[in-house]
Amino acid sequence: MRNMSLSDEEKTAALAHVPLFSGISFESMSRLAAAAGEQDFAAGQFIVRQGQIGTGLYIVLEGAVRVLRGSDELADLGPGDFFGELSVIDQQPRNASVQAIADTRCLSLASWELLQLLQTDTALSLNLIRGLVTRIREYGEHHRH
Amino acid sequence: MSAMSQQELFDTLSGLALFADLSRPQVEAVAHQMTEESYPTGQRILRQGFTGTGFYVIVEGEVAIKIDGDEIARLGKGDFFGEMSILLGEPPVADVVTTRQLRALHLGGPELEGFLRENPSVMYRMLKSIALRLRNANRWRS
Repeated sequence: MRNMSLSDEEKTAALAHVPLFSGISFESMSRLAAAAGEQDFAAGQFIVRQGQIGTGLYIVLEGAVRVLRGSDELADLGPGDFFGELSVIDQQPRNASVQAIADTRCLSLASWELLQLLQTDTALSLNLIRGLVTRIREYGEHHRH
Repeated sequence: MSAMSQQELFDTLSGLALFADLSRPQVEAVAHQMTEESYPTGQRILRQGFTGTGFYVIVEGEVAIKIDGDEIARLGKGDFFGEMSILLGEPPVADVVTTRQLRALHLGGPELEGFLRENPSVMYRMLKSIALRLRNANRWRS
């Protein structure tokens, strides 16, 4: 993993590959790139902890993370995946922990930035609804099998 | 179920969480974009495994959500269903059956995305409601 920080152009290029941001306006993408902060996590490090108040959304650029509730492993996520959105939307504590399982680079977006974008960019809202609905279906299937 | 005048329908819709941020003229516009439908008790509106038939907002009455015949939830006034299948382009994973006479607003599947884009405040309310659903789904699992 490189240690240089990403320019806005590089962030835009990275975000363009994330399904959550497909089809959003150029203006929203520029705002996202300017607002998103880059964070590196070492393998084993916790990125968010269950029960904490959420402060933002994370997008995995490189590496891999594991979503955990208590000792339950809920999912592994990789480049292009996102997490942390629920606490941003409903302002409730994190319902799961997320731990880096490899050296991982994320872009993070503060809650208020995401909320503002959601209220102005309908493509982003629609993508996020699709993402949540997909998770509900996956959890439902996991639950029944 | 007694017949509801247009005026009563608009009043009722204004009180639903999904439409809470709309002005009165916007509520009326939404009511015109959707079709008002009534169903008797015991009618299956969505069918597990079959291609979706639309998005529904419950105005009055109640439905049961059933997977493989087991009831997993009930929905009432102000709740909505059918959007998951439409947005994912997959058949419903549950049956939706009326447990009481139902009055609902219906929107055809292909129209949902355009409808939400035209009504961002409705989409934002839907997003919050679906987030709550995901949180509850998580809770059931743990």
